[in-house]
Amino acid sequence: MIRVLIWSLLVFCFVYSAFIGAVSLNISDLLNPQSLSYQIFFDLRVPRVLFAFFAGTILALSGLLFQTLFRNPLMTPYTLGISSGAVLGAGIAIKLGLGTLFFGIASISLFGFFGAMLTVFLLVYLSQFLKSSQHASLLLLGIALSLFYTSALMIVFYLGDPMQNDMLIRFTMGSLSIIGWSNPILLGIISLALFISVYAYRFELQILSISEDQAKLKGIHAKKLTLILLTISSLGIGTLVSISGPIGFIGLIVPHIITKLYPTSVSSRIIKTALFGGFFLVFCDTITRSLSTQSELPIGIITALIGAPFFIYLIITKATR
Amino acid sequence: MIKLDALQCSFDKQTILQNISLEIENHLSILGANGSGKSTLAKAICGLIKYEGDVFIHDTNIQDLPLLEKAKTISYIPAKLDIYDSFITVKEFVLQGRFPHKRSLFEYSHKDKSICEQTLEFLNISHLQEHTVHSLSSGEQQLILIAQALTQQSKIIIFDEPTANLDPHNTKIIAQHIKGLQQYHQVILITHDLHLASYMQSPILFIKDSHASYYEKDFFNDSTLSELYGVVFKDLVASYD
Repeated sequence: MIRVLIWSLLVFCFVYSAFIGAVSLNISDLLNPQSLSYQIFFDLRVPRVLFAFFAGTILALSGLLFQTLFRNPLMTPYTLGISSGAVLGAGIAIKLGLGTLFFGIASISLFGFFGAMLTVFLLVYLSQFLKSSQHASLLLLGIALSLFYTSALMIVFYLGDPMQNDMLIRFTMGSLSIIGWSNPILLGIISLALFISVYAYRFELQILSISEDQAKLKGIHAKKLTLILLTISSLGIGTLVSISGPIGFIGLIVPHIITKLYPTSVSSRIIKTALFGGFFLVFCDTITRSLSTQSELPIGIITALIGAPFFIYLIITKATR
Repeated sequence: MIKLDALQCSFDKQTILQNISLEIENHLSILGANGSGKSTLAKAICGLIKYEGDVFIHDTNIQDLPLLEKAKTISYIPAKLDIYDSFITVKEFVLQGRFPHKRSLFEYSHKDKSICEQTLEFLNISHLQEHTVHSLSSGEQQLILIAQALTQQSKIIIFDEPTANLDPHNTKIIAQHIKGLQQYHQVILITHDLHLASYMQSPILFIKDSHASYYEKDFFNDSTLSELYGVVFKDLVASYD
Protein backbone atom coordinates (compact mmCIF):
# COMPACT_ATOMS: atom_id res chain seq x y z
CA MET A 1 0.00 0.00 0.00
CA ILE A 2 2.70 2.45 1.03
CA ARG A 3 4.65 1.47 -2.07
CA VAL A 4 1.71 2.31 -4.35
CA LEU A 5 1.22 5.59 -2.54
CA ILE A 6 4.85 6.65 -2.88
CA TRP A 7 5.11 5.68 -6.52
CA SER A 8 1.87 7.41 -7.49
CA LEU A 9 2.94 10.58 -5.70
CA LEU A 10 6.25 10.58 -7.57
CA VAL A 11 4.71 9.85 -10.97
CA PHE A 12 2.05 12.50 -10.42
CA CYS A 13 4.77 14.97 -9.51
CA PHE A 14 6.74 13.99 -12.62
CA VAL A 15 3.78 14.76 -14.89
CA TYR A 16 2.80 17.89 -13.01
CA SER A 17 6.33 19.24 -12.63
CA ALA A 18 6.60 20.94 -16.00
CA PHE A 19 3.56 23.09 -15.21
CA ILE A 20 5.15 24.55 -12.09
CA GLY A 21 7.54 27.47 -11.94
CA ALA A 22 8.11 31.16 -11.46
CA VAL A 23 6.02 31.99 -14.52
CA SER A 24 2.54 30.49 -14.54
CA LEU A 25 1.63 29.09 -17.91
CA ASN A 26 -1.42 29.69 -19.96
CA ILE A 27 -2.59 26.11 -20.67
CA SER A 28 -4.55 27.01 -23.77
CA ASP A 29 -1.45 28.56 -25.33
CA LEU A 30 0.59 25.36 -25.07
CA LEU A 31 -0.40 24.24 -28.54
CA ASN A 32 0.52 27.56 -30.09
CA PRO A 33 4.23 27.56 -31.02
CA GLN A 34 4.32 31.35 -31.18
CA SER A 35 3.25 31.90 -27.58
CA LEU A 36 5.54 32.56 -24.65
CA SER A 37 3.92 29.74 -22.66
CA TYR A 38 4.80 27.29 -25.43
CA GLN A 39 8.42 28.38 -25.46
CA ILE A 40 8.80 28.26 -21.70
CA PHE A 41 7.13 24.86 -21.55
CA PHE A 42 9.04 23.13 -24.36
CA ASP A 43 12.41 24.90 -24.21
CA LEU A 44 12.80 25.23 -20.44
CA ARG A 45 10.40 23.17 -18.38
CA VAL A 46 10.17 19.84 -20.23
CA PRO A 47 13.93 19.62 -20.92
CA ARG A 48 14.56 20.46 -17.29
CA VAL A 49 12.24 17.75 -15.99
CA LEU A 50 13.85 15.17 -18.28
CA PHE A 51 17.32 16.39 -17.34
CA ALA A 52 16.45 16.01 -13.64
CA PHE A 53 15.04 12.54 -14.29
CA PHE A 54 18.16 11.29 -16.09
CA ALA A 55 20.42 12.94 -13.52
CA GLY A 56 18.54 11.18 -10.72
CA THR A 57 18.82 7.88 -12.57
CA ILE A 58 22.58 8.23 -12.98
CA LEU A 59 23.09 9.25 -9.35
CA ALA A 60 20.90 6.49 -7.90
CA LEU A 61 22.31 3.74 -10.13
CA SER A 62 25.87 4.83 -9.39
CA GLY A 63 25.07 4.77 -5.69
CA LEU A 64 23.67 1.25 -5.90
CA LEU A 65 26.63 0.17 -7.99
CA PHE A 66 29.26 1.61 -5.62
CA GLN A 67 27.51 0.15 -2.57
CA THR A 68 27.33 -3.29 -4.13
CA LEU A 69 30.83 -3.36 -5.58
CA PHE A 70 32.43 -2.20 -2.34
CA ARG A 71 29.90 -3.93 -0.07
CA ASN A 72 29.46 -0.81 2.03
CA PRO A 73 26.19 1.14 2.38
CA LEU A 74 27.99 4.50 2.64
CA MET A 75 29.76 4.37 -0.71
CA THR A 76 28.58 6.78 -3.36
CA PRO A 77 30.38 8.89 -5.96
CA TYR A 78 29.65 11.86 -3.70
CA THR A 79 31.04 10.41 -0.46
CA LEU A 80 34.09 9.07 -2.30
CA GLY A 81 35.05 12.54 -3.49
CA ILE A 82 34.38 11.95 -7.18
CA SER A 83 31.91 14.84 -7.35
CA SER A 84 34.40 17.11 -5.57
CA GLY A 85 36.99 16.17 -8.17
CA ALA A 86 34.62 17.26 -10.89
CA VAL A 87 33.90 20.53 -9.10
CA LEU A 88 37.59 21.34 -8.75
CA GLY A 89 38.13 20.59 -12.44
CA ALA A 90 35.26 22.88 -13.38
CA GLY A 91 36.54 25.54 -10.95
CA ILE A 92 39.93 25.55 -12.62
CA ALA A 93 38.27 25.91 -16.02
CA ILE A 94 36.26 28.90 -14.79
CA LYS A 95 39.35 30.51 -13.28
CA LEU A 96 41.35 30.07 -16.45
CA GLY A 97 38.42 31.59 -18.35
CA LEU A 98 38.73 29.08 -21.14
CA GLY A 99 35.14 29.29 -22.37
CA THR A 100 34.29 26.97 -25.20
CA LEU A 101 37.17 24.81 -26.37
CA PHE A 102 36.48 22.63 -29.38
CA PHE A 103 33.48 20.90 -30.94
CA GLY A 104 31.32 23.26 -28.87
CA ILE A 105 32.22 21.45 -25.67
CA ALA A 106 32.42 23.88 -22.78
CA SER A 107 35.76 23.78 -21.01
CA ILE A 108 33.87 23.57 -17.71
CA SER A 109 32.34 20.27 -18.76
CA LEU A 110 35.59 18.86 -20.04
CA PHE A 111 37.60 19.82 -16.95
CA GLY A 112 34.83 18.60 -14.65
CA PHE A 113 34.74 15.31 -16.45
CA PHE A 114 38.51 14.84 -16.15
CA GLY A 115 38.36 15.77 -12.48
CA ALA A 116 35.90 12.95 -11.87
CA MET A 117 37.82 10.39 -13.92
CA LEU A 118 41.12 11.30 -12.31
CA THR A 119 39.59 10.79 -8.87
CA VAL A 120 38.26 7.35 -9.81
CA PHE A 121 41.63 6.20 -11.12
CA LEU A 122 43.34 7.62 -8.06
CA LEU A 123 40.92 5.72 -5.80
CA VAL A 124 41.33 2.47 -7.73
CA TYR A 125 45.11 2.89 -7.67
CA LEU A 126 45.19 3.66 -3.94
CA SER A 127 42.77 0.84 -3.10
CA GLN A 128 45.42 -1.66 -4.23
CA PHE A 129 47.32 -0.86 -1.07
CA LEU A 130 44.34 -1.71 1.10
CA LYS A 131 43.53 -5.25 2.11
CA SER A 132 40.44 -6.52 0.36
CA SER A 133 38.43 -6.46 3.57
CA GLN A 134 39.22 -2.81 4.30
CA HIS A 135 36.67 -1.09 2.13
CA ALA A 136 35.90 1.28 4.97
CA SER A 137 39.40 2.73 4.50
CA LEU A 138 38.48 3.51 0.91
CA LEU A 139 35.75 5.75 2.26
CA LEU A 140 38.35 7.55 4.37
CA LEU A 141 40.53 7.96 1.29
CA GLY A 142 37.54 9.49 -0.49
CA ILE A 143 36.95 11.90 2.37
CA ALA A 144 40.65 12.84 2.42
CA LEU A 145 40.51 13.54 -1.31
CA SER A 146 37.37 15.64 -0.83
CA LEU A 147 39.08 17.76 1.81
CA PHE A 148 42.10 18.20 -0.42
CA TYR A 149 39.93 19.26 -3.37
CA THR A 150 38.01 21.70 -1.21
CA SER A 151 41.24 23.38 -0.11
CA ALA A 152 42.45 23.50 -3.68
CA LEU A 153 39.14 25.08 -4.65
CA MET A 154 39.66 27.70 -1.93
CA ILE A 155 42.92 28.66 -3.62
CA VAL A 156 41.05 29.02 -6.90
CA PHE A 157 38.54 31.26 -5.11
CA TYR A 158 41.34 33.29 -3.58
CA LEU A 159 42.92 33.93 -6.94
CA GLY A 160 39.70 34.52 -8.84
CA ASP A 161 38.09 37.85 -9.66
CA PRO A 162 34.58 38.56 -8.28
CA MET A 163 32.73 37.60 -11.44
CA GLN A 164 34.52 34.29 -11.75
CA ASN A 165 33.92 33.62 -8.08
CA ASP A 166 30.22 34.28 -8.42
CA MET A 167 30.06 31.80 -11.31
CA LEU A 168 32.04 29.32 -9.27
CA ILE A 169 29.88 29.62 -6.18
CA ARG A 170 26.75 29.09 -8.22
CA PHE A 171 28.32 26.05 -9.85
CA THR A 172 29.28 24.46 -6.53
CA MET A 173 25.70 24.80 -5.33
CA GLY A 174 24.48 22.38 -7.96
CA SER A 175 21.67 23.44 -10.20
CA LEU A 176 19.31 21.85 -12.67
CA SER A 177 18.69 25.10 -14.58
CA ILE A 178 19.36 24.26 -18.17
CA ILE A 179 18.17 25.67 -21.46
CA GLY A 180 17.31 23.61 -24.54
CA TRP A 181 17.51 19.99 -25.44
CA SER A 182 21.20 19.14 -25.93
CA ASN A 183 21.95 18.43 -22.26
CA PRO A 184 18.88 16.25 -21.56
CA ILE A 185 19.58 14.21 -24.69
CA LEU A 186 23.26 13.73 -23.80
CA LEU A 187 22.37 12.73 -20.27
CA GLY A 188 19.58 10.45 -21.50
CA ILE A 189 22.01 8.51 -23.67
CA ILE A 190 24.53 8.21 -20.84
CA SER A 191 21.95 7.12 -18.26
CA LEU A 192 20.59 4.51 -20.66
CA ALA A 193 24.11 3.19 -21.28
CA LEU A 194 24.75 3.02 -17.54
CA PHE A 195 21.46 1.26 -16.92
CA ILE A 196 22.06 -1.30 -19.65
CA SER A 197 25.53 -2.15 -18.40
CA VAL A 198 24.42 -2.48 -14.78
CA TYR A 199 21.41 -4.57 -15.75
CA ALA A 200 23.44 -6.81 -18.06
CA TYR A 201 25.75 -7.66 -15.20
CA ARG A 202 22.97 -8.11 -12.62
CA PHE A 203 23.86 -11.72 -11.82
CA GLU A 204 27.56 -10.92 -11.52
CA LEU A 205 26.62 -8.04 -9.19
CA GLN A 206 24.44 -10.34 -7.13
CA ILE A 207 27.41 -12.68 -6.64
CA LEU A 208 29.81 -9.78 -5.98
CA SER A 209 27.39 -8.50 -3.34
CA ILE A 210 28.23 -11.61 -1.31
CA SER A 211 31.98 -11.35 -1.41
CA GLU A 212 34.89 -11.00 -3.78
CA ASP A 213 35.99 -14.55 -2.97
CA GLN A 214 32.55 -15.84 -3.84
CA ALA A 215 32.82 -14.10 -7.21
CA LYS A 216 36.22 -15.64 -7.92
CA LEU A 217 34.97 -19.09 -6.95
CA LYS A 218 32.12 -18.74 -9.43
CA GLY A 219 34.50 -17.78 -12.22
CA ILE A 220 34.08 -14.01 -12.29
CA HIS A 221 37.03 -11.68 -12.95
CA ALA A 222 36.05 -9.53 -9.99
CA LYS A 223 38.71 -6.81 -10.37
CA LYS A 224 38.18 -6.41 -14.10
CA LEU A 225 34.40 -6.21 -13.81
CA THR A 226 34.65 -3.72 -10.94
CA LEU A 227 36.91 -1.48 -12.99
CA ILE A 228 34.66 -1.61 -16.06
CA LEU A 229 31.51 -0.74 -14.12
CA LEU A 230 33.27 2.00 -12.13
CA THR A 231 34.56 3.58 -15.31
CA ILE A 232 31.14 3.64 -16.96
CA SER A 233 29.53 5.09 -13.88
CA SER A 234 32.23 7.73 -13.45
CA LEU A 235 31.72 8.71 -17.05
CA GLY A 236 28.10 9.39 -16.17
CA ILE A 237 28.90 11.20 -12.95
CA GLY A 238 31.67 13.26 -14.57
CA THR A 239 29.39 14.39 -17.36
CA LEU A 240 26.51 15.12 -15.02
CA VAL A 241 28.53 17.10 -12.48
CA SER A 242 30.25 19.10 -15.18
CA ILE A 243 26.84 20.30 -16.40
CA SER A 244 24.87 20.67 -13.19
CA GLY A 245 27.46 20.95 -10.43
CA PRO A 246 27.42 18.54 -7.51
CA ILE A 247 24.05 17.12 -6.45
CA GLY A 248 24.78 15.18 -3.30
CA PHE A 249 23.28 12.28 -1.45
CA ILE A 250 20.74 11.10 -4.05
CA GLY A 251 23.02 8.11 -4.65
CA LEU A 252 22.97 7.44 -0.93
CA ILE A 253 19.29 7.96 -0.15
CA VAL A 254 17.54 6.32 -3.09
CA PRO A 255 19.12 2.83 -2.91
CA HIS A 256 18.31 2.78 0.80
CA ILE A 257 14.68 3.77 0.33
CA ILE A 258 14.34 1.03 -2.29
CA THR A 259 15.93 -1.51 0.06
CA LYS A 260 13.45 -0.53 2.75
CA LEU A 261 10.50 -0.74 0.36
CA TYR A 262 11.71 -3.90 -1.37
CA PRO A 263 13.96 -6.06 0.81
CA THR A 264 15.14 -8.24 -2.09
CA SER A 265 18.48 -9.09 -3.64
CA VAL A 266 20.37 -6.43 -5.59
CA SER A 267 19.61 -7.90 -9.01
CA SER A 268 15.90 -7.30 -8.59
CA ARG A 269 16.41 -3.75 -7.27
CA ILE A 270 18.21 -2.28 -10.29
CA ILE A 271 15.18 -1.18 -12.35
CA LYS A 272 13.35 0.14 -9.30
CA THR A 273 16.38 2.11 -8.11
CA ALA A 274 16.89 3.69 -11.54
CA LEU A 275 13.24 4.76 -11.87
CA PHE A 276 12.92 5.91 -8.29
CA GLY A 277 16.14 7.95 -8.55
CA GLY A 278 14.79 9.76 -11.60
CA PHE A 279 11.37 10.47 -10.10
CA PHE A 280 12.85 11.43 -6.75
CA LEU A 281 15.13 14.13 -8.16
CA VAL A 282 12.26 15.52 -10.24
CA PHE A 283 10.24 15.58 -7.00
CA CYS A 284 12.98 17.50 -5.15
CA ASP A 285 13.35 19.86 -8.09
CA THR A 286 9.61 20.51 -8.18
CA ILE A 287 9.71 21.46 -4.51
CA THR A 288 12.53 23.95 -5.01
CA ARG A 289 10.71 25.52 -7.94
CA SER A 290 7.42 25.80 -6.14
CA LEU A 291 8.93 27.58 -3.11
CA SER A 292 8.20 31.25 -3.45
CA THR A 293 11.70 32.59 -2.87
CA GLN A 294 13.20 35.58 -4.59
CA SER A 295 15.26 33.42 -6.90
CA GLU A 296 15.23 29.69 -7.27
CA LEU A 297 16.99 27.58 -4.62
CA PRO A 298 19.77 25.43 -6.09
CA ILE A 299 18.87 21.74 -5.96
CA GLY A 300 22.28 20.70 -4.58
CA ILE A 301 21.59 22.64 -1.39
CA ILE A 302 18.21 20.94 -0.89
CA THR A 303 19.53 17.40 -1.43
CA ALA A 304 22.48 18.06 0.88
CA LEU A 305 20.16 19.44 3.56
CA ILE A 306 18.07 16.27 3.45
CA GLY A 307 21.00 13.97 2.75
CA ALA A 308 23.53 14.89 5.41
CA PRO A 309 21.29 13.99 8.39
CA PHE A 310 20.38 10.79 6.55
CA PHE A 311 24.08 10.01 6.17
CA ILE A 312 24.56 10.40 9.92
CA TYR A 313 21.52 8.19 10.55
CA LEU A 314 23.04 5.48 8.34
CA ILE A 315 26.39 5.62 10.11
CA ILE A 316 24.70 5.27 13.49
CA THR A 317 22.43 2.39 12.48
CA LYS A 318 25.35 0.65 10.81
CA ALA A 319 27.42 0.99 13.97
CA THR A 320 24.71 -0.41 16.24
CA ARG A 321 23.80 -3.31 13.95
CA MET B 1 43.44 -35.86 -8.89
CA ILE B 2 45.17 -32.92 -7.26
CA LYS B 3 48.93 -32.57 -7.26
CA LEU B 4 50.80 -30.05 -5.16
CA ASP B 5 54.35 -29.32 -6.21
CA ALA B 6 56.56 -27.50 -3.69
CA LEU B 7 53.64 -25.37 -2.54
CA GLN B 8 54.64 -22.45 -0.37
CA CYS B 9 52.50 -19.71 1.14
CA SER B 10 53.54 -16.64 3.08
CA PHE B 11 51.53 -13.90 4.67
CA ASP B 12 53.04 -10.68 5.96
CA LYS B 13 56.54 -12.14 5.54
CA GLN B 14 55.59 -15.09 7.72
CA THR B 15 55.73 -18.53 6.16
CA ILE B 16 52.43 -20.36 6.65
CA LEU B 17 53.07 -23.40 4.48
CA GLN B 18 56.51 -24.61 3.53
CA ASN B 19 57.39 -26.76 0.59
CA ILE B 20 54.42 -29.09 0.47
CA SER B 21 54.43 -31.71 -2.27
CA LEU B 22 51.61 -34.18 -2.37
CA GLU B 23 49.40 -36.14 -4.71
CA ILE B 24 45.80 -36.33 -3.62
CA GLU B 25 44.24 -39.24 -5.45
CA ASN B 26 40.94 -39.28 -3.69
CA HIS B 27 39.30 -38.04 -0.51
CA LEU B 28 41.41 -36.33 2.10
CA SER B 29 40.85 -34.87 5.53
CA ILE B 30 43.15 -32.08 6.62
CA LEU B 31 43.74 -31.64 10.36
CA GLY B 32 45.95 -29.35 12.38
CA ALA B 33 46.06 -26.78 15.09
CA ASN B 34 44.48 -23.31 14.85
CA GLY B 35 46.48 -21.12 12.55
CA SER B 36 48.49 -24.03 11.21
CA GLY B 37 47.55 -23.20 7.63
CA LYS B 38 44.75 -25.65 6.84
CA SER B 39 42.49 -23.04 5.28
CA THR B 40 45.45 -21.41 3.59
CA LEU B 41 46.16 -24.69 1.83
CA ALA B 42 42.54 -24.96 0.68
CA LYS B 43 42.47 -21.36 -0.51
CA ALA B 44 45.70 -21.88 -2.43
CA ILE B 45 44.18 -24.87 -4.21
CA CYS B 46 41.15 -22.75 -5.15
CA GLY B 47 43.35 -19.89 -6.31
CA LEU B 48 41.97 -17.41 -3.78
CA ILE B 49 45.41 -16.47 -2.44
CA LYS B 50 48.87 -16.11 -3.87
CA TYR B 51 51.35 -18.94 -3.51
CA GLU B 52 54.65 -20.20 -4.80
CA GLY B 53 55.03 -23.59 -6.40
CA ASP B 54 52.41 -25.30 -8.54
CA VAL B 55 49.00 -26.82 -8.13
CA PHE B 56 47.83 -29.28 -10.78
CA ILE B 57 44.36 -30.67 -11.21
CA HIS B 58 44.17 -33.59 -13.61
CA ASP B 59 47.63 -32.61 -14.89
CA THR B 60 46.57 -29.04 -15.70
CA ASN B 61 48.20 -26.22 -13.79
CA ILE B 62 45.31 -24.29 -12.22
CA GLN B 63 47.04 -21.02 -13.10
CA ASP B 64 46.41 -21.88 -16.75
CA LEU B 65 42.81 -22.80 -16.19
CA PRO B 66 40.26 -20.09 -17.10
CA LEU B 67 38.29 -18.96 -14.04
CA LEU B 68 35.01 -20.40 -15.31
CA GLU B 69 36.61 -23.79 -15.98
CA LYS B 70 38.15 -23.72 -12.54
CA ALA B 71 34.73 -23.04 -11.03
CA LYS B 72 33.38 -26.09 -12.86
CA THR B 73 36.19 -28.20 -11.40
CA ILE B 74 36.42 -27.09 -7.78
CA SER B 75 33.96 -25.66 -5.31
CA TYR B 76 34.95 -24.33 -1.94
CA ILE B 77 32.59 -24.18 1.01
CA PRO B 78 33.66 -21.61 3.61
CA ALA B 79 33.18 -22.19 7.33
CA LYS B 80 30.83 -19.30 7.68
CA LEU B 81 28.60 -17.48 5.30
CA ASP B 82 29.82 -13.91 5.13
CA ILE B 83 27.35 -11.91 3.14
CA TYR B 84 26.79 -8.21 2.45
CA ASP B 85 23.46 -8.27 0.64
CA SER B 86 21.41 -9.95 3.34
CA PHE B 87 18.14 -9.86 1.40
CA ILE B 88 19.10 -12.53 -1.08
CA THR B 89 16.79 -15.56 -0.91
CA VAL B 90 17.91 -19.16 -0.50
CA LYS B 91 16.72 -19.93 -4.02
CA GLU B 92 18.74 -17.07 -5.54
CA PHE B 93 21.77 -18.00 -3.48
CA VAL B 94 21.74 -21.66 -4.47
CA LEU B 95 21.17 -20.67 -8.09
CA GLN B 96 24.53 -18.87 -8.03
CA GLY B 97 26.12 -22.31 -8.12
CA ARG B 98 24.90 -22.53 -11.71
CA PHE B 99 26.70 -19.32 -12.71
CA PRO B 100 29.73 -21.04 -14.28
CA HIS B 101 27.34 -23.07 -16.46
CA LYS B 102 25.18 -20.12 -17.45
CA ARG B 103 25.51 -18.35 -20.81
CA SER B 104 26.91 -14.94 -19.93
CA LEU B 105 24.42 -12.04 -19.93
CA PHE B 106 21.48 -14.46 -20.04
CA GLU B 107 18.97 -15.54 -17.40
CA TYR B 108 19.42 -18.82 -15.58
CA SER B 109 17.76 -21.54 -17.69
CA HIS B 110 14.94 -23.86 -16.71
CA LYS B 111 17.48 -26.63 -16.43
CA ASP B 112 19.50 -24.57 -13.93
CA LYS B 113 16.40 -23.89 -11.89
CA SER B 114 15.27 -27.50 -11.81
CA ILE B 115 18.75 -28.63 -10.76
CA CYS B 116 18.47 -26.23 -7.83
CA GLU B 117 15.04 -27.47 -6.86
CA GLN B 118 16.22 -31.08 -6.94
CA THR B 119 19.25 -30.23 -4.84
CA LEU B 120 17.15 -28.43 -2.23
CA GLU B 121 14.81 -31.42 -2.14
CA PHE B 122 17.74 -33.81 -1.82
CA LEU B 123 19.01 -31.90 1.21
CA ASN B 124 15.49 -31.64 2.68
CA ILE B 125 15.47 -27.85 2.68
CA SER B 126 12.88 -27.09 -0.01
CA HIS B 127 10.77 -25.30 2.57
CA LEU B 128 13.52 -22.65 2.99
CA GLN B 129 13.47 -21.61 -0.69
CA GLU B 130 11.87 -18.21 -0.24
CA HIS B 131 13.55 -17.36 3.07
CA THR B 132 16.23 -14.71 3.11
CA VAL B 133 19.70 -16.04 3.74
CA HIS B 134 20.30 -13.94 6.86
CA SER B 135 17.23 -15.41 8.59
CA LEU B 136 18.74 -18.90 8.58
CA SER B 137 20.40 -20.72 11.47
CA SER B 138 24.07 -21.79 11.24
CA GLY B 139 23.03 -25.36 10.43
CA GLU B 140 20.71 -24.21 7.66
CA GLN B 141 23.38 -21.87 6.30
CA GLN B 142 25.81 -24.76 6.06
CA LEU B 143 23.17 -26.76 4.19
CA ILE B 144 22.54 -24.03 1.61
CA LEU B 145 26.29 -23.65 1.12
CA ILE B 146 26.42 -27.37 0.38
CA ALA B 147 23.42 -27.01 -1.91
CA GLN B 148 25.19 -24.27 -3.85
CA ALA B 149 28.33 -26.37 -4.20
CA LEU B 150 26.28 -29.32 -5.42
CA THR B 151 24.50 -27.32 -8.13
CA GLN B 152 27.92 -26.21 -9.31
CA GLN B 153 28.50 -29.88 -10.22
CA SER B 154 32.24 -29.77 -9.75
CA LYS B 155 34.19 -32.95 -9.22
CA ILE B 156 36.16 -31.61 -6.29
CA ILE B 157 34.49 -30.12 -3.22
CA ILE B 158 36.52 -28.53 -0.43
CA PHE B 159 34.82 -28.16 2.95
CA ASP B 160 36.42 -25.64 5.29
CA GLU B 161 35.40 -26.55 8.85
CA PRO B 162 31.79 -27.34 7.97
CA THR B 163 30.82 -28.24 11.52
CA ALA B 164 32.70 -25.51 13.38
CA ASN B 165 29.56 -23.61 14.42
CA LEU B 166 27.12 -26.49 14.71
CA ASP B 167 25.49 -28.37 17.54
CA PRO B 168 25.86 -32.18 17.67
CA HIS B 169 22.56 -32.85 15.95
CA ASN B 170 23.32 -30.58 12.98
CA THR B 171 26.86 -31.92 12.92
CA LYS B 172 25.43 -35.36 12.40
CA ILE B 173 23.22 -34.20 9.50
CA ILE B 174 26.12 -32.44 7.80
CA ALA B 175 28.46 -35.37 8.45
CA GLN B 176 26.07 -37.79 6.79
CA HIS B 177 25.69 -35.54 3.77
CA ILE B 178 29.43 -35.11 3.36
CA LYS B 179 29.97 -38.83 3.63
CA GLY B 180 27.24 -39.39 1.05
CA LEU B 181 28.93 -36.98 -1.34
CA GLN B 182 32.13 -39.03 -1.30
CA GLN B 183 30.42 -41.40 -3.70
CA TYR B 184 30.32 -38.87 -6.56
CA HIS B 185 32.79 -36.18 -5.59
CA GLN B 186 36.36 -35.92 -4.44
CA VAL B 187 35.86 -34.52 -0.95
CA ILE B 188 38.59 -32.57 0.79
CA LEU B 189 37.61 -31.86 4.36
CA ILE B 190 39.31 -29.36 6.63
CA THR B 191 38.30 -29.78 10.22
CA HIS B 192 39.14 -29.65 13.91
CA ASP B 193 36.49 -32.21 14.63
CA LEU B 194 38.27 -35.53 15.22
CA HIS B 195 34.95 -37.36 15.39
CA LEU B 196 34.00 -36.07 11.98
CA ALA B 197 37.41 -36.85 10.50
CA SER B 198 37.42 -40.41 11.79
CA TYR B 199 33.87 -40.91 10.52
CA MET B 200 34.96 -39.97 7.00
CA GLN B 201 37.63 -42.70 6.96
CA SER B 202 39.71 -40.69 4.49
CA PRO B 203 43.49 -40.45 4.64
CA ILE B 204 44.69 -37.66 6.91
CA LEU B 205 47.00 -34.75 6.22
CA PHE B 206 48.21 -33.27 9.48
CA ILE B 207 49.66 -29.76 9.35
CA LYS B 208 51.91 -28.51 12.10
CA ASP B 209 54.53 -25.74 12.14
CA SER B 210 54.02 -25.12 8.40
CA HIS B 211 54.90 -28.71 7.52
CA ALA B 212 52.50 -31.45 6.54
CA SER B 213 52.57 -35.14 7.34
CA TYR B 214 50.44 -37.72 5.60
CA TYR B 215 48.70 -40.65 7.28
CA GLU B 216 47.14 -43.23 4.99
CA LYS B 217 45.70 -44.90 8.11
CA ASP B 218 46.67 -45.44 11.76
CA PHE B 219 45.99 -41.81 12.60
CA PHE B 220 43.16 -42.38 15.03
CA ASN B 221 44.93 -44.30 17.73
CA ASP B 222 45.40 -42.77 21.12
CA SER B 223 49.17 -42.68 21.00
CA THR B 224 49.39 -40.85 17.63
CA LEU B 225 46.77 -38.35 18.67
CA SER B 226 48.38 -37.74 22.03
CA GLU B 227 51.71 -37.16 20.34
CA LEU B 228 50.33 -34.72 17.75
CA TYR B 229 47.96 -32.76 19.93
CA GLY B 230 49.64 -33.08 23.33
CA VAL B 231 46.33 -34.16 24.78
CA VAL B 232 45.64 -37.56 26.29
CA PHE B 233 42.90 -39.34 24.35
CA LYS B 234 41.03 -42.41 25.41
CA ASP B 235 39.06 -44.35 22.79
CA LEU B 236 37.89 -41.65 20.44
CA VAL B 237 34.40 -42.65 19.50
CA ALA B 238 32.18 -41.25 16.81
CA SER B 239 28.82 -42.49 15.75
CA TYR B 240 27.04 -40.43 13.10
CA ASP B 241 25.43 -43.45 11.41
